[in-house]
Parts: sequence; structure tokens; C-alpha cells
Amino acid sequence: MTHYRIAASVEDALKILEEHGGEARIMAGGTDVMVDMHKGKIAPRCLVDITRIPELRAISVVGEAVQVGAAVSLAEIHRHPFIAQNVHVLAEAARSVGALPIQTAATWAGNIVQAMPAADGAIAALALQAEARIVDATGARWKPVEMLFVRPGVSAVDPCRQIITHIRFRVPSRLWGSAWARAGRRESLVLPTLNCGVSLRLHEDGTIAEAVIALGPVAPTPYRARDAEAFLRGKTPDAAAFAEAGCIITGDCNPRTSPARASREYRLALIPEMVTQALEAATRRAENRRSQS
Amino acid sequence: MDATISFTLNGRAVTVRTDPVRTLLEVLRNDLGLTGTKQGCDLEGECGACTVLLDGVPVRSCLTPVGKVEGREVLTVEGLGDPDRLHPLQKAFAETGAVQCGYCTPGMLMSSAALLARNPSPSRQAIIEALEGNLCRCTGYARIIAAVELAAARMRGESSPDGGAAQARPIGGDLLRVDIAERVTGRTQYVEDMPMPDALHMRVVRSPHLHARVVAIDTQKALEVPGVLRVLTAADIPGENSIEGYSKDETVLVPVGGTVKMVGDAVALVIATTPEAAQAGVAAVEVAYEPLPALLDPEEALAPNAVPIHADGNVLSTFAVTHGDANAALAASDAVVDVTYRTSYLEHATIEREAALGYIDEEGRITVVSGTHEPHWHRDFVAPVLGLEPSQVRVIMPPTGGSFGKRQDPWLVAATALAVYHMRRSVRIAYTRRESFDASPKRHPYVCRYTVGATRDGTLTGLRLRVTANTGAYDSGGYYIPNYAIVAGGGAYRWQGVDAFAQSVYTNGPKAGQMRGYGTPQSNFALECTLDEMIQRLGDDPVEFRLRNAIAQHETTWLGYPVAESLGYRQVLEAIRPRYQALETAARAFNESERNSPWRKGVGLAGMWYRFGKYGIPRVAAEAELGLDGRFVVYCSAPDYGQGTATVMVQLAAETLGVSRAAIRLVNADTATTLDSSVPGASRATYWVGGAVCRAVTALREVVAAVASEMLDCPPSAIVLADDRVMAGGDARRSVRLSEVAAEMERLGHSRKVTGVLDLRAQFPNYEREVYTPHFVTGAQVAEVLVNTTTGQARVTRVVAAHDVGHAINPRDAQGQIEGAIVMGLGAALMEEFVPGVTTGFSDYYIPTAKTMPDIEVILVEVPSYQGPFGAKGLGEAPILPTAPAIINAISRAVGARIREIPATPERILAAARRGGLR
Repeated sequence: MTHYRIAASVEDALKILEEHGGEARIMAGGTDVMVDMHKGKIAPRCLVDITRIPELRAISVVGEAVQVGAAVSLAEIHRHPFIAQNVHVLAEAARSVGALPIQTAATWAGNIVQAMPAADGAIAALALQAEARIVDATGARWKPVEMLFVRPGVSAVDPCRQIITHIRFRVPSRLWGSAWARAGRRESLVLPTLNCGVSLRLHEDGTIAEAVIALGPVAPTPYRARDAEAFLRGKTPDAAAFAEAGCIITGDCNPRTSPARASREYRLALIPEMVTQALEAATRRAENRRSQS
Repeated sequence: MDATISFTLNGRAVTVRTDPVRTLLEVLRNDLGLTGTKQGCDLEGECGACTVLLDGVPVRSCLTPVGKVEGREVLTVEGLGDPDRLHPLQKAFAETGAVQCGYCTPGMLMSSAALLARNPSPSRQAIIEALEGNLCRCTGYARIIAAVELAAARMRGESSPDGGAAQARPIGGDLLRVDIAERVTGRTQYVEDMPMPDALHMRVVRSPHLHARVVAIDTQKALEVPGVLRVLTAADIPGENSIEGYSKDETVLVPVGGTVKMVGDAVALVIATTPEAAQAGVAAVEVAYEPLPALLDPEEALAPNAVPIHADGNVLSTFAVTHGDANAALAASDAVVDVTYRTSYLEHATIEREAALGYIDEEGRITVVSGTHEPHWHRDFVAPVLGLEPSQVRVIMPPTGGSFGKRQDPWLVAATALAVYHMRRSVRIAYTRRESFDASPKRHPYVCRYTVGATRDGTLTGLRLRVTANTGAYDSGGYYIPNYAIVAGGGAYRWQGVDAFAQSVYTNGPKAGQMRGYGTPQSNFALECTLDEMIQRLGDDPVEFRLRNAIAQHETTWLGYPVAESLGYRQVLEAIRPRYQALETAARAFNESERNSPWRKGVGLAGMWYRFGKYGIPRVAAEAELGLDGRFVVYCSAPDYGQGTATVMVQLAAETLGVSRAAIRLVNADTATTLDSSVPGASRATYWVGGAVCRAVTALREVVAAVASEMLDCPPSAIVLADDRVMAGGDARRSVRLSEVAAEMERLGHSRKVTGVLDLRAQFPNYEREVYTPHFVTGAQVAEVLVNTTTGQARVTRVVAAHDVGHAINPRDAQGQIEGAIVMGLGAALMEEFVPGVTTGFSDYYIPTAKTMPDIEVILVEVPSYQGPFGAKGLGEAPILPTAPAIINAISRAVGARIREIPATPERILAAARRGGLR
């Protein structure tokens, strides 16, 4: 039998992990852990439920800094007024995971630790250049989420020894926008054929100061389009530039054929369309934030 | 080791001692006896039937470890309201027809309740988003969304009409279903919900191979698993190892020396004291296989040197129709379209998985309770397996969570009966969703080659048709498929010459069998798309072209005989004409104004005829009885797996007797108590069984009137029936209670039970027509589709459906059937495809969600039937036929190139758009 412990604090959770010497596992919503246990992929001796730890239950917005506790559900994220109105890439990615009764339990941190190449939360985290606070017996440190993916299904965070307690990112108050694009075999309750998260900051003169583009599943781990981002720096955000960015990504990434979802060729055909769509939406939002401020 | 978990359940404190990692779903159902919460998938969160509220928030109880609910509040459907005090949502679901089979209903209700608690005035979009994670296979979602809107309005205190309609006449009014209060409160017991504490559990050892010889089966290790009591193999079958009556070449269990012919073929049955032990036993049975070459493509299976899957070769059956001179007609045509269309394996994907409960009844009969289309047929298939007489076997139809043909397969009943036969104890089984996908029959994939000719003025000339149907590993009812393929494949059109040939071909794919429309949607899809190609070639109009070529009521059809029921095809096309024209004009304007965007709007039309009532002797019987309590009892076999036939039978009886529905009790579909209604399926219940029910209650009324007239000293013609009494004329003072009439009949030795028969044998003396009564319903649908020509994504925005249903007995349920069929047809058109070796369940077999649902308008074209009860016809299957071709015609017109294979995935649509020069 597997034990079930409801941790009262981060320290308490760490203690339980330590007691079990790597055979206890952190769990928040359980929407992935339970399925993996049923399928026999994992067999922890103890589940450590972190969803009642007060400090992990909050979303804080201080100036440009946003911090999301690891026990905040995806539904709480996309219903959060600031995120819904200002951080489209995250709100829409959170709304893309399964369906509402899954989003009410599932968490952003859990989605990231699953380390699937097209995890909606992971792609959004990359687009936001988010960082995760990782705590273990040796202490706490912030790491870019981008550094946490080892290979499909394997995270650099060991949920049997470590806890992601928070995820943070910055939302520039001016000339910044983000966007989300996703395609699947139907409109809901489906894994993505392709998903794409983008954030974009403009210079005062309207040229691109910084673009961040993330996609999945186009590589073994969530993919960040660094060459395309470098190309876009300083460019005018127009159709030609976006199309070229799409071309660069198509040339660089390596999607697979998955028989139940889509072929490699179709995914490659989709990339420029989705990237353009997301970059256009992000640009529009960034320009709106010029007039707001 | 168990943990103690305390929480609030439906307002009451409860404490359970259990493994805290078990799912909340299992604890609710098995430990706490709350079976209203349903399991539809393999605890993967894919279907939503198990949705409950945790502190007011909707969660999947199948993904929630029970340890998580410690100290929290759980609300299930049982806590929402009860039959005497329905929650406004439950009331609205009942009144709007939001419930068909009812299996998804508890989850839908809980998701809706959470929404309305957060947002008392949700927009339509908000409702769709709240429900997009709850799959429904019956309703097409529209009525569920309407129900939430109605409940929300009432909860806000806005007055809205009461849909109860208790005062409405039994027929034609919008009426509640007979068992609706139980369905919306989670009280209805489906097979898995029926308590049977001492029942053993059965699991099936299935082939992992497409094609292999069974060299040896070693059950020793399985028998050593604690809790495993017995492992049954083919050697344990006392009678015939065959379900020949249904599937001429299929064994119950593949014997040593025999071959498994598909993944999922059954090799052994493991019976144990717990489901877990049975599953462990399955894993421990050692089957040695010798793999054989496998064939998945029917073309390869037809090759001269192909490995024979069955001893007689790879062709199961063929059928041909020749009419006039097709070659000459084609040669004389101004235009000829010669094209090939393809369809895919489809899965019924009912939300309830296959389940059965077997036991020995009080009279010693081997009894199986399981979803079926005709319990008598299953009884007759199963008895020979056990070496018993049919009278020693009993099959009972329980409340069932959808079928669409799925539950015609008798294998599960045979296997359960075999286990009860050996164990002499009750045995239960429920498939996993994965098993349901692997082992249950699918829709036959077709390859249809159409050669169609027409004159310049738009008159059809010749039709050459070649259909290859992939029946997979077994007959499984696929023997008659070629006939259905051709009859639907020629349509309700006048052809000068027809040369049609169809064959059903074995492969090592999953066995294909019955599914809504049985062999007709595939060829109708190909026909109606081919006609659209011709119409575009000629620059003709889709409505006028079809009207010009439609068969008239009394003419001899290309089948060689006239139709024998009223044919409403012209009326249907005329009803849809204005909608087609309006949508077509709007699409043109849209495409003009959006010339520079990637979006294109397409409008497509398709028609159909569907032969309802199926084959068999055209004679059906039912019984009616006056109970000693004075209530009327109707006995018939019209299984209701969600379509509402039980309600229809009660309506027909009440209307015929002139009493209210409350005065009627229905005994339905139990071989021990009801007559054989002779053939299952084919949308026949209302017309055939309903016709027999009407005759039975008419006969009963005569008997009652005769006896009562003596008691009241008046002529029988003056007798008036009321719910509980009989009156002489309209004089309420001269009356006797029906219970008194029953007592008098008892005293006189008068039988209180009479038989009614609908017998059309005189009308169909010819063998061919006796087997297939030429009764057709017709319909036409228009689909409007928005296509993104750069991504290939398509959204069906609107479907208008005109269907001749005859006189609608329950108009709301008739509309609900049509809506559900449209959404199922949409799935087939755009997303559904079972790929052998790839597809595992709901996570990779995409059925439409609430978000996929188009706006649907249903036009009931009521052309009364000549011989059906109150002018009714058969409806359940037909409306799925036009949907896929209407959608595909719309997309093909939008992108300027033809799509000839379904599902039209975004990938295929994008390829077509590129062929059409849009990129």
C-alpha cells in the first residue's frame, strides 16, 4: 500500500521525502501521478500532497514580478484577473490542459515536472522565461525552467527528493505582449498537434527589442527557438519578418510523426502559420500596452 | 496499513478505512455504495463521467486519491437532489431531453452545478467551456446546453415555461421519459451498479497478435494466483464453441491448434474472487503463439496468393444488383465521374463500457444481465454454447449506457453464461476501455469505386459501383453488409442502369459489425459526394439536381420493386431548399469579403434513404395484460439503450387505450417474461414492436370492454376507459374499477393477458422482399463549414437537417436522435478513426466534445407511414447518413478540391487546399 501524507509545510514535505529515502513522491493535483501509478510507470511508497501548504497556494503580483505557488491549480491561474488580462500565453496554456475538471486539480509545476515535449505549461513557461524555485535538503535555488528538461518524461527536478515551490516571471508593464497558439485533432480535451508560446517586447520605435518563442512537440524536450529569436531582434514586427522566423524554426527543429495525431510533414507545415499567428497577436498586445501607459 | 479518512459526503460526515491512494471514484462506488458516479475510461480522466465536486470545484474522481479529500466536502449526483426534490438542473435535464442513455448525465450535472454556483448567468460559450471535458455520445450536446440555460434562468428566478407537460396527450406532445427521475439522480442501476456482493469476477485472456496459431495454453501459474478459482479454455465449452447464429465463423474461445485472427481475440477466461486477482490471473496464463503473416488491407487479402484467414478464403460474402444496362447508360452520358472514396474503422465509443452480470435465477436458469438489442436472440445464440435448451437460459436487458449497435455482439453474454455454468455462482465482468476498443466490433471501412453518368441537363444515367468492405477478423454480422452497402449506395434516385457489386472481405483488423446505420453511412457518403462532384461538373444546383432525379412514390425502383411505405424524399428536399439557398448565399458573401484571409466558408448538401426494419419474417408480437391491481401491463421486447423506446411503447399503449401514461406499466426485454420480437436493430422498435404493442392493447381493450359491459349492463361500444376505472358512456356514476374488472375476469376464467401481432407477411410473399422489407426513411442535411486554408482546421458551424420520420411519437426525442446522429456523423467526417495497433481508447480516438458541436436546426418532415403505429417510421440510425457527405461536400467546395477519404483530418484538408490552389 502507498501512504498518503498531507504536508503542512515545505519543511514537512522535505522531511517526509527524506524519511522515505527517495521512495516518496511529491504530488499536487495528481492528474498525472495517478495515471502513471495505474499504468505501473511509477510505484512510490508514499505520496506527499503539497496542496495544503499555505505559502504554495498564492499568486503574487508585485510590480512587474509575478510569482505562482506550486499548489495553485491551472484553473486558478487562468481565472486570476491579472494573468487573464495581461499574461495571455499563460492563461491560454493553462486553459488548454485537458479540460476544466482537470485544470481544477492540475498545477503548473506538476505540468513542468512531467517534462513532456509538448506540455502546455512548459511551453508557456519557456515563452515567459520563467524560473522555478527548487528546494531540497541542500537548500533552495532558482533555476530557469528551460534548464529542467532532460529527455521526454524526465525532469532535472527529482520529485522524490525535490520540490518546486514557486514559479516566477516578469511582465514588463509597457510595450510587452504574449500569445498562445495551439492546434489539435479536436478543439478540447486533446493533446496538441502543435503548441506555440510567444512573448514579445518592443522598442519605443516599434522594432522588436526581444522575442521569445517556444514550441512543442518539435524536439525531445520543450523547444526554444533561439535562432529565430536572434533574427527577430531589431526587426520591424511584420509579416515578412515573422515568415522568416517561421522558416528558421522549420529548418532547425525536428518534429516526429505520431500516428494518432499528425505527421512530421504536417507539423512542419503548421509551424510557420502558428508562429506567425502568435507573433502577430503578441505584437498587437505589446502595441496596446504602449497606449495604456 | 489502511488509512482513516474522514470527509463530508453530500452533507453528511463519513469515515472510511482504506488504502488512501485508491481513487475517490472507486471508494464512492464500491465502499460507499454511491453508484451514481460513473466510470467511462480506465481511470485516466478522459471521459468526465466521474466528475464530482470537491469543495464546490469539479474534479475527476478517477484522478483523485481518496486521501486528498480528508476534511473536505464531496458532492455527488446523489447529493444534488433526489427524485422527489429534483435540483433545478436535474429538472431541466429531464425536461429538455438532455438525457438519452444517461451514463454521462451525472458528470454533466456536476460540472453544470459547479458552473452555476460560480456564475449564475453563464453565456452559451461559458457553458460549453464548463462542459467541454464531459463526453456524451448520445445527445450531440445541444439539449444539455439548453438544459443548463433553462436551469440557470429558473435559479435566477426568471419565469420560464414548465416543460413537464403532464397534461399533454401521450403522443405528439413533449413528454418526459418514463424513468427520467431515476436517471437524473444517479439512482438508475446499470449493470456495474447492481449489487451482487458474492459475485465472482471474470477477466479475459486476449490475443496480443494480429494473426497467430495457439500452440499451447498453460493455466497452472494462473491457478496459483491467490483468489483465482478457475481458468476456462475452449476445452471447457460443453456445447458448441461458436456463436454461429450471429457470426458464422467466430469461436467463443480460440482452442489450442486454432488461430487467433485479431488483437483482442479471446483465448481464456479467468474467474476469481476479486477483479484484481482475475487480472493477475490473466497475466499469469501462458499462451504459446506461433505468429502468422497478418493482413490489414482488404486489397492484399484479395490477392490470389494471400494467406487465407479462414478456411474458405478471405471473402465472407458478396452481393450484386443489376438493373437495366449500366454500360450503355454510361456510354450515352454527357458527363461521367469515376472516383474512389474511402472510410475508416469507427468505434461506437458508448460512455458505458461492456459489462455483464450472470447468475442462476430462482428457476435454475443460467441468467445474464447485459446490454443487448434483442435478449431472445442472445439467449438463442448462447444456449448451444452451453449445450442447453434456450428455455434453460435467460437474458435480461438492464438500463444500458448507449449502444449504436455495439451491444448486438453476443460474445460477452456467451462468455458470462459459460462462467456461470461452470461456477454455479454469480459472476460479473466489465471490460476496460482499452479492451472495449480492442475486442468490440467496429464500423466496416469501405473502399467505394463509383462510376456515375449524367446527361448535360442533369439527369442521372448509369451507376457502376464496386464496394470492398473490410469485415476484419470475423463475420460478426458483416455477412449482410454487401446488401446494405449497395441499397444505400444507389440512393433514392432513378437510374437507367445499375451494375453494383459489393463484397465483405476478411483481414486481421478488428472484427467489424453493427454500428448505427449498419453498412449504409459509408456508401451513402461516397454516393452523395460523387453526386456533388457531378453537380459541380455540370454547374447544377444540389437541391434541384436531387429533386430532378428522386424516385417517385409508386415507381419501380432500381432494386426491381417499388417501395412499400410512404417515401418523403421530395418533401425533405423541398423543406431544406430555402435553408440551403440562404446558407450558400451567405457563404459566398463571406468568401468575397474575406478574400485575403485564410478562412473559407463552404456549404454542402447531402441526402439519403435508409431501409429500416431490417430482415427477418415480417411478423412481430407483443402482449398486454390487465393486472389484478387494475393497471395495464405491456410486455414486449424493444430494448432501450438510450433512444427512448421504452417511453415510446408506453406512449403508444396509453394513446391506443385512451388513458394516461401513469396507467401503463412496461415489462421490456427479458426472455423470461416477454415475447421474442424476432429481429434486433435497424431502427425497428417503434414501427414493428410499437405496431405489435398497439395491436395487443387494442385486443386487450376489447376483452376488458366485453367483461365490463356485462358488469355495467351496457353495450361494449359504450365503454369508456379511464386510468383506474371503466365507465358506461360518459357517465362517471356508472363505473367499475379496473381492479374489479380484473377480479371478474379471474372469476370467469377469462385470460387477462392477450397477444397482439403486426403481421405483414401477406404483403411480402417473395423471399427477397420478405428478408428485406422495402421500407425507407429519407432525409437531407446542409452543413456550413469554416475552413482555415493555411492550417487545414475545419469547424462545422451549422447543420440543418430535414428528416421524414413519419408521424413523430415523441418529437423532442426524435429531434434528440437527429442531433445526436449529426454530431456522431461529424466525428466520422472530421476526427474519428480507429487505427489497428495505434488506437487505445478515448485519449487517441477523438469523439466530438461540446466545443465541437455545431448549431443544429432540425426540421421534422412528417409524412405519415401507411402501416406504422399512428403513422410512425423508424428513425434512430438514418440521420447519421447525410452528415459526413454534407460536411465533406462543404469542405471540398470551400477549398476547391475534393476530399475522398474520411476522417478529413486537418492534414488531409490542408493537402486538399493546396491541390485547390489556395496556398
